[in-house]
Amino acid sequence: MPDDDESLPQPLLRATELLRDLPDVRDEWRRDLQRSLDGGHANEALAAERFPRRRWSVSPITAIAACLLCAVLGGVVATSVLRRAVVPTPTITAATPSTALQVRFDLVAPTATQVMIVGDFNQWNAESLPMRRSADGRRWEIEVRLPPGRYTYGFVVDGKLTPDPRAPESASDDFGIPSSVRMVSRAGGSS
Amino acid sequence: MKQLLALVASITLVSAGLGAQRAPLPARIGAESRVVIEHVIDSARTAGLPTEPLTDKVLEGVLKGADDQRIVLAVQSLVRELGTARTILGGATNTALLGATASALHAGVSPTELRRLVRPPGDASADAGVLTSALVVLVDIVAKRVPAGAAVSAIGDLLQRGAPERQFVDLRNEVERDIMAGRPPESALLERTRAHLRQLDADPLMANPASRRRPPSA
Repeated sequence: MPDDDESLPQPLLRATELLRDLPDVRDEWRRDLQRSLDGGHANEALAAERFPRRRWSVSPITAIAACLLCAVLGGVVATSVLRRAVVPTPTITAATPSTALQVRFDLVAPTATQVMIVGDFNQWNAESLPMRRSADGRRWEIEVRLPPGRYTYGFVVDGKLTPDPRAPESASDDFGIPSSVRMVSRAGGSS
Repeated sequence: MKQLLALVASITLVSAGLGAQRAPLPARIGAESRVVIEHVIDSARTAGLPTEPLTDKVLEGVLKGADDQRIVLAVQSLVRELGTARTILGGATNTALLGATASALHAGVSPTELRRLVRPPGDASADAGVLTSALVVLVDIVAKRVPAGAAVSAIGDLLQRGAPERQFVDLRNEVERDIMAGRPPESALLERTRAHLRQLDADPLMANPASRRRPPSA
């Protein structure tokens, strides 16, 4: 479609001409408008000088680090709330195993060169609790402080796991090598 | 830059704190089994079950040279038993008591028998220490080939009469001695239990009032 004015119909051309003419505006109105505009800018400049606007800028690395921190903290709070929500209130009087008892373990092994004790009280660590040889050289001994409870354990004699021949074997052996059981109670010490 | 360093340090500390909650598994455990075991431990933690017995079970398996599959099965079995134990105990979270109840399940005592033993109808509360000792003795007696039903009945009678912790320990030692002397396990238990009940009748002050119970109606 052609866009020049000559192709338009006459009534439309006249209307276009009328709209193009700017209405007369008095000079004093123009001056007032100009003055008020200048005054407004001046006030803004004054205000900006008195109360400068602080612009915050954060580097991308800081923003990423902040996001990570928020995610981690959110996770911690959520985990804590969830855990608190699912743990039911105990309905049975809780025992207070605050008083650990001195429990003695010994093993007759005159030919052994090294004996360690392992069990659920030392996370089955074969290096943390070495036993010492008795004065007569026949027995190996150790005393361990344990709170009341039931413990499964064994002796590692020169690298080989051996149950305590004087203690009852564990009923819950899952691995084909029996452990021994020691019960430590407030009333009767250990047995 | 200082802000950035502070943030990174905070993240490291918080992450380390979270990492510390995760139980360390021995390096010997293979990747696939490790994923399964960590999932089991995380599930237990979310369910409010103790996770130490689970990691102990893994470490025991490793020390005993068990293969990964056997360790995974043992851990899965233990977490199931701990969950059932907590249901039987009515939501108790005492780790020693949960462990003793789970051990009893593992030894073959049925959940119904255990429920009757630890929560007889009308029972208000029980001393967790006495109950734990009673369950530990129950497990050891069952391990000595005493039928589970007879063992539950004997331990239940003593609990009902308020037997103190000491009596359960003595009972276990006596039964063990009798068995080693050649007496049949069940008759050794029955005879020793009767003797302890007579002792409680003769000296009512000996009974532990905290653990004295009304007779189970079942």
